[in-house]
Amino acid sequence: MSRTSFRFGDLRVVALGLVFVLAWAGIGYRLFQVQGADAAELAQRGFDQRVRHETIDAKRGTIYDRDGVELAVTIYGKSLIADPSLIEDPTQAASLLAPIIGADYIDLARRFDSDGRFTYVARGLENDVVSQVAAAIEEADLVGFSFEEAPLRIYPSGSLAAPVIGLTHADDGRGIEGIEAVMDTELSGRPGKRVVERDQAGRAIPQAEYLLESSTPGSDVVLTIDREIQYTAERALQEAIDFTGALGGSVVVMDPETGEILAMVSLPGFNGMDRSSLDPSAIRNRAIADVYEPGSTLKVVAVAAALEEGVVRPDTPFDTPPEIDIVGETYSDHGNHPSVMTVTDIVAQSSNVGTIKIQRQLGDETHYRYLDAFGLGRPSSIDFRGEATGRLDHVSDWCGPACGASAAIGYGIGATTLQMAAVYATIANDGEWVEPHVVSEIVSPDGESIVSEPRQRRVISVDTAQTIRSMLRGVVTDGTGFRADIEDFPVGGKTGTSDKFDVETGEYSETETIAWFIGIAPIDDPSLVAAVVLDTPTGMLPDETELKFGGASAAPVFADIVESALHQLGISPVHQDDE
Amino acid sequence: MTAGAFPRTTTRRARTGTSSRPVVRPLLIFVLAVIIAFFAVIYSRISLDRTAFEIQLLDRQIATQEQLHWDLRVEHARLQAPDRITKRAVELGLVYPDDRQTIELTGVEAVVGGPEDRWLDLRALLLEQS
Repeated sequence: MSRTSFRFGDLRVVALGLVFVLAWAGIGYRLFQVQGADAAELAQRGFDQRVRHETIDAKRGTIYDRDGVELAVTIYGKSLIADPSLIEDPTQAASLLAPIIGADYIDLARRFDSDGRFTYVARGLENDVVSQVAAAIEEADLVGFSFEEAPLRIYPSGSLAAPVIGLTHADDGRGIEGIEAVMDTELSGRPGKRVVERDQAGRAIPQAEYLLESSTPGSDVVLTIDREIQYTAERALQEAIDFTGALGGSVVVMDPETGEILAMVSLPGFNGMDRSSLDPSAIRNRAIADVYEPGSTLKVVAVAAALEEGVVRPDTPFDTPPEIDIVGETYSDHGNHPSVMTVTDIVAQSSNVGTIKIQRQLGDETHYRYLDAFGLGRPSSIDFRGEATGRLDHVSDWCGPACGASAAIGYGIGATTLQMAAVYATIANDGEWVEPHVVSEIVSPDGESIVSEPRQRRVISVDTAQTIRSMLRGVVTDGTGFRADIEDFPVGGKTGTSDKFDVETGEYSETETIAWFIGIAPIDDPSLVAAVVLDTPTGMLPDETELKFGGASAAPVFADIVESALHQLGISPVHQDDE
Repeated sequence: MTAGAFPRTTTRRARTGTSSRPVVRPLLIFVLAVIIAFFAVIYSRISLDRTAFEIQLLDRQIATQEQLHWDLRVEHARLQAPDRITKRAVELGLVYPDDRQTIELTGVEAVVGGPEDRWLDLRALLLEQS
């Protein structure tokens, strides 16, 4: 009996022992797997789950106007993200959120109804909108939504100077237009790197963060733009567009001595803060991208060249019949004028015939040399991306006298508003061409400043420039530009009207024109040059003057802008009776 | 009584001082030191963590204040926007004059340059004083 019970107990002990042995063997095997065979792989998986290499965003630099007011600034807003798989009622969520974030309800509902696990609902929301969205989500008990911090580019002045300032890309924040694009390298800075350990909830574990490389903030860019003058110019041009029904227009206001661009307007424009209604065609900066034949505004180049070369004097008389034939091409004048005019009269009355006669005496080669020296046919400034070169064929490619005659009166040559403003700035600056520029200085995060140094070159003598200025004064007092006159300041300038060229038909339009006025103020001691261009103005003034002419539509815009700008700059008025 | 009783010999060894006593004090000191060191390490670790949390909190406060600073600058720039000011002024009754009247004040020099230029002298004076 005792032997039987002993055997039974022995078996139980052996069985238990076996169980223990097997269990320990299993544990040992697992231990061997975890700590030995798969140790490296498991350690790596744990490391990857916990430790993350993160990029530290560099704060994008700020763009300021000349008075240090922010035109473009980066703040940290929030992006609303969603996990569509968790959204129970996509239509309810879309109807609730769409009006707050200004999104399309149908598009939002479709995105919430997808099988994906991630979608951006809205990027770069400002803090007040974030509060509204958060409240709506909480109130409706929506699930599947969360916020993440995201840099947000703000344009506090809205549409003011938007085509100049440009835009950044919504996704990566890089500049895609305007100064944002041209100065992207300077504004962007350099992102940093860090290693962060995060817990299960994604929170950073203190003391477990290692900085590998600090981020360097972007440099700030100070523009030469004067906000008040810019606003005045935008308002005046918009009023003219509304009044004339023009397709668009552009304005450049410059300081001729420094080449600083005080205002640059391109309309229709856009508001960088309202991307939902962004019209791609409105992003284009017409002042630098659109090339037009400058018409009579270019006559000053032929006249200045002829004066500089001693071919003519201001009082040199010319026979000025109503029309002239140049190797089969007939050129005529608008309206009646005397049959004999001096060079000064020819400029004042904007006579095509007289200007062509001056150009024929000057010669094509010399004329071309001055057109080139005034900066036509090449970009004016390094501050603009996509600036058109304009069109100035080499004189060897000219078709002969007819091309020379056309060039004298502003046809066959293409120029941007900026290029033409620079031509008149040269005359205002006593014959010295100064590179137009919109970037005043670049200030690095450590305070170092790089100030713009514009290129300069002499084009005509001081005497010639002064003579041309007195002729331009005559255009306003006795000629086609009388609507540009300002009561308290003597101004001078030149009207221009060029027929629009239809590329499809290869012919000039008989009704559609480009209206120009480019002027200098005050004419005896220039502080400003302003160029105004209207694309296809229509209609008529009460005195039955057609608005398609530069003297009727563009000249009053010049007067509006310049009068206000001169006051803004603190230029003392001059009693014109005392002149 | 039996005679010649042998004197009883003692086989007990005399206890010689401390040689056989266990060495307790150094052990106690050692254990105590280990315990103190253990708690010191724990305490320092906790202190370090606490400091790290405080630094993190301060970092967050700095970030918040920086955010506030930029929000205010943006708001400042928005409030200065000429378009906003003009609209508000028109609402309040601004009328553009048909004819601009210029009043000349003799003895008052023309204002040249921006506000920065006008404060250059004052700034130079303050820099000298500092």
